[in-house]
Formats: sequence, C-alpha cells, structure tokens
Amino acid sequence: MNPPPETAALDPKQAEREAIKDINQDYKTKFGFNDPETGYVYKAPKGLSRKLVEDISEYKGEPQWMREFRLKALEHFLARPVPQWGADLNQIDFDDIHYFVRASERAETSWDDVPEDIKNTFDKLGIPEAERDFLAGVGAQYESEVVYHQVRKDLEEQGVHFVDMDTGLREHEDIVREHFASLIPANDNMLAALNSAVWSGGSFVYVPPGVEVEMPLQAYFRINTENMGQFERTLIIADEGSAVHYIEGCTAPVYSTDSLHSAVVELIAKPGARIRYTTVQNWSQNVYNLVTKRARAEADATVEWVDCNLGSKITMKYPSVYLMGERAHGEILSIAFAGNGQHQDAGGKIIHAAPKTSSSIFSKSISKDGGRSTYRGLLEVAKGASEARSKVVCDALLLDPESRSDTYPTIRIDENDANVGHEASVSKIGEEQLYYLQSHGLDEEEASKLIVNGFIEPVVKELPMEYAVELNRLIELQMEGSIG
Amino acid sequence: MADHIVCTVEELPEGARKIVEAEGFLIGVFNCGGELLAIEDRCSHDDGPLAEGELDCAAGTVECPRHGSIFDLRTGRPKTLPAFAPVETFPVRVEDGQIKLEVD
Ligand code: FES
Repeated sequence: MNPPPETAALDPKQAEREAIKDINQDYKTKFGFNDPETGYVYKAPKGLSRKLVEDISEYKGEPQWMREFRLKALEHFLARPVPQWGADLNQIDFDDIHYFVRASERAETSWDDVPEDIKNTFDKLGIPEAERDFLAGVGAQYESEVVYHQVRKDLEEQGVHFVDMDTGLREHEDIVREHFASLIPANDNMLAALNSAVWSGGSFVYVPPGVEVEMPLQAYFRINTENMGQFERTLIIADEGSAVHYIEGCTAPVYSTDSLHSAVVELIAKPGARIRYTTVQNWSQNVYNLVTKRARAEADATVEWVDCNLGSKITMKYPSVYLMGERAHGEILSIAFAGNGQHQDAGGKIIHAAPKTSSSIFSKSISKDGGRSTYRGLLEVAKGASEARSKVVCDALLLDPESRSDTYPTIRIDENDANVGHEASVSKIGEEQLYYLQSHGLDEEEASKLIVNGFIEPVVKELPMEYAVELNRLIELQMEGSIG
Repeated sequence: MADHIVCTVEELPEGARKIVEAEGFLIGVFNCGGELLAIEDRCSHDDGPLAEGELDCAAGTVECPRHGSIFDLRTGRPKTLPAFAPVETFPVRVEDGQIKLEVD
C-alpha cells in the first residue's frame, strides 16, 4: 500500500509540527470545545467584592455562620500577598475573573433533566457511560455548581451520603459544621482563603461505620466559560472501619485568556477507615490550578492520594496526610507531566504525629518541550511519633535539554528511632536506551513512549483499570511528536 | 515555680488580653467572660504569635493569626490543623486585686 503522498513529502521536523498540531486539535475536539451560554441562570460580573460574597451566600440560602465564615475569609484573602515561592503566580489578574457562574437551576438526579448543552458535554466526555459501567455514584459540576448528582440506591440505603457540597450543607449541617475547615482553615494560605470566601459546589461524602463502598465515587469538573474561576469544596468523612475510593477528573475549553481553578479538599479517616482519592487532572493549558488538599488519618486508618497532573498552565498542589493516630498509614503517589509552557509544581506532605505510623511518597515527573516540573515535599516525624517508618522516592525524567526539573525535599525528624529512607533521581532519556530499543526495531518515538511508560508504570498500576487506560492514552497524546 | 504579676484586675476587663514575658516565655493572658486563661504566645505549627489572634470567648478559643489553627485556651490543644501539637497553658489566679501567673 502506498502512503498518502502528502505524508511522504513531509520532512521529519514538519511531521513533528503536524503531530503537535494534532495533539492540540485532539484536546480541542475531545475536551477543549465550549458550549454557548444560553439558558445560564446567573453570571456574576468580573471581580471580587464583599457584595459578591454576600450574594453567593444569599443565593444558596446559607446559614449565618457560613456567611460569616465567607466574609472573614475574604478579609484574609485581601490581606495576604501573592506567594512568591514556587510557580509564578504574578500574572493572575484577580479582577479579571468571573467568580460565580450558575448554568442551571439545580443538581438533577436524572441526566434527562440536565439542560441539553450541558448534558451533551458530559456525554462527549463519557461520564454517563462510565456511571453505568463501573461507578457507585457520580457528581458532575459545570461552572460553579453541580448540575447532576446520583448515587446507587443500595449505598444510600446503607446510609452513605454522596451529594454536592451545597446540598451537604443544607441537609447535613451538623456534620458539615463540625468538620468544614477543620483541616484547612480559611487563613491557611492565600488560595484557601479565596476558596473559603467564594466556594461553590464540590462533594460532600459521608460513609457510616463499617460500610465499604466497593466501586468508586466520581466527580467530574468542567469549566465552560472564559475567564472563569472555579472554587469547589470537598469534604469526605469515612467513619470507623469504613472504606471509600473517590475519583475526580476535569477538563476545560481552550481559550487564549486564563482561568483559575482553586479547590479545597479535606479528608477525614476515622479509626480503621480507608480513603483513596484519585485525581486525573487534565485542564486545558490556560488554567491555573492551585489546590489545597489535606487529610487526617486516625488510629489504624489509611489515606492514599493518587495525584496525576497532566494539564493546566501552572499547577501548585501538595496533598498532605496528617497521621494522628497510632499505626495510621499515609501514601502519596504523584505523577506530573509538564509539556511546552507548563509548570507542574507538585509533590506531597506527610506528617507523622503518632507512634508506629508509616508512610510513603512516590513521585514521578516527566518534562518535555521546555516544560518544567518541580517536586516539593515534606516528611515530618514529630516528637512522640516513635517507631515511625517512611520512604520517599522521587524520580524525574527529562526528555530534552530545554526542559527542567527541580526537587525540594524537606525532611524533619524529631524522634531518634524513626526509620526514613529517601531516594531521588533525575534521568535524561539516554542515547543508549534509545539506541538499544531502536536496534530492536522500534522507531525513536515508540522507543521514547516505551521508556516513559516503564517510568510511570509503578503509579499507573495503582489506578483502577479504566483510569490506567485513560492515563496511558493521555500520556501518549502528550508524547506524540515530542521527539525531534 | 515562680509567680508573675500580670496587672491589676481592673486592667484586664472582660474580653481583654495582655501579653507578658515570664521565665523566658511569652504568655497571653485573657479574660474570657470573667474566667482568666493563659496560653503560650507561640504557635506550635510555625511559631505564629498565637495570643494576638482572634478570641472567641463563647468557645474558649483563640485563632492563630498566621495560618488559622484554633487553640483551646483551657487545654492548649489545637482543634484544627495545620497545628497538631499542644502549646503550654498556665494557671492564673487573683490575689489582693492582682492577676498572678504561675510559670514553671
Ligand atoms: S503558625 Fe499558627 S497555624 Fe501556622
């Protein structure tokens, strides 16, 4: 069979450009499309003010304490300077953002009731299909609010709550009030303060004692409008001896101006409970993704963060686990992929605050086409956390000389008998590796893909099958045409 | 053990606070609805000036101004992260119209 003539005529450089173009087009058609804003219920004008915060609270019909919490948070936000460590956030124009956009009236429990355009979007993203096939519950957030929410009946009957955060506050105010901001106070950092002032949407999950939710719960976050700020707020409480796996995904249209996504996520694992929280972050490359995630593990509890960052312009995110009870266990698996124009500043923090606690942090980052990845981590063994064990491994892979990787591991140990291992490596895709694989009949691109796949395999194998496939596919997309 | 005179009772009305130095500690002394409470003025998280934080007399707490951890004034224990270790608390009493702090 003859190759089509136009392909045959391309020189390799041109072919690469074509391939890169294709990637963008693929993101555009697959995820980067946008819907018209017809039928929107409310779109706040750009900018942040006390009035806006009051309006959001009013719209949602919130109790007085939440309104006060928001207003106080706004003051904290206004009083704090933009952080000057980590990725460069100085380009964010906080006055040029729509802080609250309401696309539909309420969170529906049937896809048929979701407005047509929005439903089509989630159809294209494959959410209803995934729900049918392998999920125990789904929440779909579009702009500032959740437009669809459903959890399997049998779980509901066992007392599992999985609702959007606004509904959570309305229907389970006591639980929310007790735990909300107990891990991440409004004044924890600048972006947490902003989220606390204008939060909207996100998930509220409560799993009663002893209940194991076998299939994952998933939330999907979609930004549609330009210059949007999305500020979801998630609180997950796994009561004694229960177990839950929560997965989140996200995408956005490709715009030439920037959007901001700034979430706050709090996980509480009571004694003997297990929480796994998986993220496949695939924002378009005009989104600043600045997220605060923190977990508390009580005695014999386990919390795992599986954090995959592929998209966004800049990500700053360091999920943490505070091991507060004896024998608690924390795990962080982090994959970051930084391509052209991206900076993934990611990592994780584990704090051992009780005896016989154990933890591990595995971080893998890949940089290509001038992309930049940073590992920033903290491992702390506090006084009193005797017989703590931990292992930190961070590896970085650089695919070309233009790309960059930095590692900032902090280790603080206040107990003599702590057993802590730390390994770090930076490798460049080696001529020899490539040559070896090419001598076995692979072309350069296939060889690079193979090396990358081998590099991230230990993390990918921790994902549920459907997500491992998705992640591999996304990475393949990122990899295509990356070899000059 | 040493007694440290903070001030006279009149000088610390309800809802007021005073930060004093005693035996190498900076200590915040609060009048919470008539109850006198004293706590170390140094947050266990990152050395924030704890006693300068917002006082909630109804809850008996003070909020660290640096990152927002809320501490119980009676026990010194944090009720929220990011702090997780307690700070020192100190007994306070009134004697002859003077507020006195006991510092080890
Ligand atoms: S210094 Fe007090 S909370 Fe950080």
